[in-house]
Amino acid sequence: MGAAQANEHGGRVAVITGGSGGIGATMAERLRDCGAVVHGLDVQPSKSPGVYFHRVDVGDEANVDAAFDAIDKSAGRIDYLVCCAAIYRPASFLKLSPEDWDETLRINLTGYFLCCRAALRLMRPQKFGRIVLFSSMVARTGGGNCAHYAASKGGVLGLARSLAIESAAENIRVNVVSPVITDTPMPRAVLSDEEMESRKSRIPLGRIGSTGDMADACLFLLSNDSSYVLGQDFRVNGGSALW
Amino acid sequence: MVASDPRVTVVTGGGSGIGRATAIRLARRGDVLCLCDVSATGLKETAALVESERGRVLTGIVDVRNQGQVRAWIAEILERFDKIDCLFSNAGVNARSTVAEMTLAQWSLLIDTHVTGTFNFCQAVLRSMVERRTGAIVITSSDFAVVGVPNAANYCAAKTALYSLTKSLALEFAPYAIRVNAIGPGPIDTPLLRAGRTPEEYENARRAFESRLPIKRLGQPEEVAAVVDFLLSERAGFMTGQLVQPNGGQVIW
Repeated sequence: MGAAQANEHGGRVAVITGGSGGIGATMAERLRDCGAVVHGLDVQPSKSPGVYFHRVDVGDEANVDAAFDAIDKSAGRIDYLVCCAAIYRPASFLKLSPEDWDETLRINLTGYFLCCRAALRLMRPQKFGRIVLFSSMVARTGGGNCAHYAASKGGVLGLARSLAIESAAENIRVNVVSPVITDTPMPRAVLSDEEMESRKSRIPLGRIGSTGDMADACLFLLSNDSSYVLGQDFRVNGGSALW
Repeated sequence: MVASDPRVTVVTGGGSGIGRATAIRLARRGDVLCLCDVSATGLKETAALVESERGRVLTGIVDVRNQGQVRAWIAEILERFDKIDCLFSNAGVNARSTVAEMTLAQWSLLIDTHVTGTFNFCQAVLRSMVERRTGAIVITSSDFAVVGVPNAANYCAAKTALYSLTKSLALEFAPYAIRVNAIGPGPIDTPLLRAGRTPEEYENARRAFESRLPIKRLGQPEEVAAVVDFLLSERAGFMTGQLVQPNGGQVIW
């Protein structure tokens, strides 16, 4: 474990989906450094020391339920759920195969549903829970070659808002973070360095988002400082979409 | 912990409610507070609370609608502290009426105080922020920037204008690394919520809010102050032009 600080996150039990890479890994490490007990769900092993790794396909119901059961057995509770697990396979609309459509929705949207449901089963009886779901700027703006991805991320907004209303009276807060392009392996797998650089010029604050930017917003939404914030979408995008 | 070079933060409407709670919170994190209001009594009370947190405070009786007064006070702050790091443009009033019965004075009071007042303050502080290529501004808009409500057309129009102003400022000043965001509080237990309502009307309104809100309670000014603190800080360093709504789930779109 990293140097645990005395703070409100110390001892909290957190589950991060997509916890082995990109924003999820940064978030897992941030919470670990605050003294939280962090469980990362992913298909790739975690490289973060001190984060408990569970190999999980988040779109598989039995797989998800088994992982949450195991966490419940070892930790006895879940305080935070952060959903980051997602896939992005760019394809122009007429070349978009039903398989890629289904797989994107299965991981990016059904995966969130399954993990939220499993977490809420534990959060409701304990009358405490904080959930942050990662959507994307393209949920609002749309974009080329990403109809399936945008649809899945738009679905996340509807899911989050409904869950926020349904869970608020039980002291469970659900919010969203919508990043713009962030410097992670996901966009770098499909964009060249030049393309990454050209994206920067479209962002008013003049830089690509970092995983730390997203983790800062997520940590705020998990903390007591956001006690009156629920059902909201934090658009951490350097000013590139103001709606 | 107080930084060796503390931030200098201007708060308008610092004499009560959200402005007061924010001043106290920012004093605890070491900011030098420059507070203005039209209420001398409220201002004095907030200043005493800030000082009890060992905060440094400068106060000014300023009518935000008066550009000359605003410029003179900002000049005084710059003269004294040499910089302004943050502005929380928060001064507000209310004058409830149906549109049919609304006087021009009721309309103008809200537009001038909220919209022109914020324009005056932003223009005054941005000159020095641009020179230093740094700064953060938070503007108090409202959930009513997004939805309409009866008996508050002046308030809704003013708060929507503030959201638009926020977005334009954000884009205009992003190249100077200056961030501008708005907050859209829901029903917060402040003097403004009571303004224009009899005690009985306030109680009825409170009950109606609480039953309708997903979170089933009014918000406290300190809960909004925490959001303002976040948006002014580097933790929100990649957020600009956004409306962030501490509103108990009242409006979630």
